[in-house]
Amino acid sequence: MLDPAHGGTDFGARGAGGVRESEILLFFAAQVRTALESMSFQVMQTRQGNENPSFDDRSAIVNSQRGAVFVSLHVGSTGLPGTVRVYVMSDLSASNDATGLIPWDRAQAPFLPLSRRFGDIVQGFLAPRFKGSPSTAQAAAVRQLRTTAAPAIAVEISSVSMEDRDALDRMAPGVADAIARGASAFRPLYVVAATNPGERP
Amino acid sequence: MNRKWLPWLICALALAVIVAGIYFPILRKRLRQATQLPPQSEEQARRELTQTTPASTSGPLTKTRLFWSSGAGDGSLMPVTVDLPLANDPTLRAKQVLNTLLAGPVNPELRTLPPDAVLLAFYMLRDGTAIADFSEALATNIPSGIESEQMAVDSISKTLEANVPQVRWLKILIHGQEVDTLAGHLDLTRTFLVNAKAAPITAASAHAAAQATDAAKQPASKAASGKTATAQSKSVTQQSLTPATPPGKLTPPVKKP
Repeated sequence: MLDPAHGGTDFGARGAGGVRESEILLFFAAQVRTALESMSFQVMQTRQGNENPSFDDRSAIVNSQRGAVFVSLHVGSTGLPGTVRVYVMSDLSASNDATGLIPWDRAQAPFLPLSRRFGDIVQGFLAPRFKGSPSTAQAAAVRQLRTTAAPAIAVEISSVSMEDRDALDRMAPGVADAIARGASAFRPLYVVAATNPGERP
Repeated sequence: MNRKWLPWLICALALAVIVAGIYFPILRKRLRQATQLPPQSEEQARRELTQTTPASTSGPLTKTRLFWSSGAGDGSLMPVTVDLPLANDPTLRAKQVLNTLLAGPVNPELRTLPPDAVLLAFYMLRDGTAIADFSEALATNIPSGIESEQMAVDSISKTLEANVPQVRWLKILIHGQEVDTLAGHLDLTRTFLVNAKAAPITAASAHAAAQATDAAKQPASKAASGKTATAQSKSVTQQSLTPATPPGKLTPPVKKP
């Protein structure tokens, strides 16, 4: 599940040259989609155009799928230009619900170990391509990830401060390939874990 | 034509030229000084009104560690030590350090919080939860992005951790309200762990905190005592860095009504 963040009246980060995060992300999402489909993945998107679904609407789309992984795409305002960071949800309390149901507002909790594994794999493919990027995924309280009941990562590209849009666009094939390779490397691990999502394979 | 008045006119004009010659450079200097002064925004004016200088400003100076950007561009923070006359009361102490953090470092490039942001209120609950209520500028003027928003929250929580040992958790409100995100990315519906080994709040400081909370019948305290406080009391007891035990079989997610 690809999630180009923002959209509609929410432009996201904006560069001095008029670059809008919400627009760039559709281009990035198209590239990632192509790369994933070339590896036989079935790909869905939380938005196809300039609409802006809510956080919960986006989560609802992925939560209704079985065996999905969630990749939220972002372009930040800060950071070393030309680097890419993968974020996974930081600590989140697990449910003590006696029914065994996962509360919506903490849907990510059981998937944190898998998300961390997925994030580290993708970041591992990104780091050699984009010098200055960290070697492992970072933890952050990303709102979109919290309500996602699937292995979920947020990928943030730096940044809209780049002087021209072309420089950002040139990063897209590398980002797409790294995500696709990461998903492919993660797939066998996730299949094993699907019956018991909290355990590391 | 009577030209008697002509010498007087010439004298008057000459005098005006001399006066203008003297006054013009002074006026120019004042104008230049005025343009060099930073424009005072509404938020800055409000900050001056809302910021009361806490007690013990003449007390002994304390080494205070403030966390601003390291400048590396990778989202890392760097502590800067300054001497401040900090109060003993945790609420006042926290207000002092946060206001200093908001004032920013010498190098404005290393700021982690928008210059217009104001700390509107600060409360300490008995369980060590700090509630910091900031003006809307914190959310609207911060650079949008996961890294920048995480850095802002980290700078607040690390600064509190380093200087106010009683703070265990941090809850951030924007203009007295709980908001979904800081600027579109970072989740502000939760509390952030500041210091798992926080010192217990003493009876005196708890009393002061209670007084401050009672006295300030503002939306911030309402929000804190309502949904937020309930969530916090749960999260304080439940939250840990990693889930204690892995969950069992995945059940279908609960649909939000």
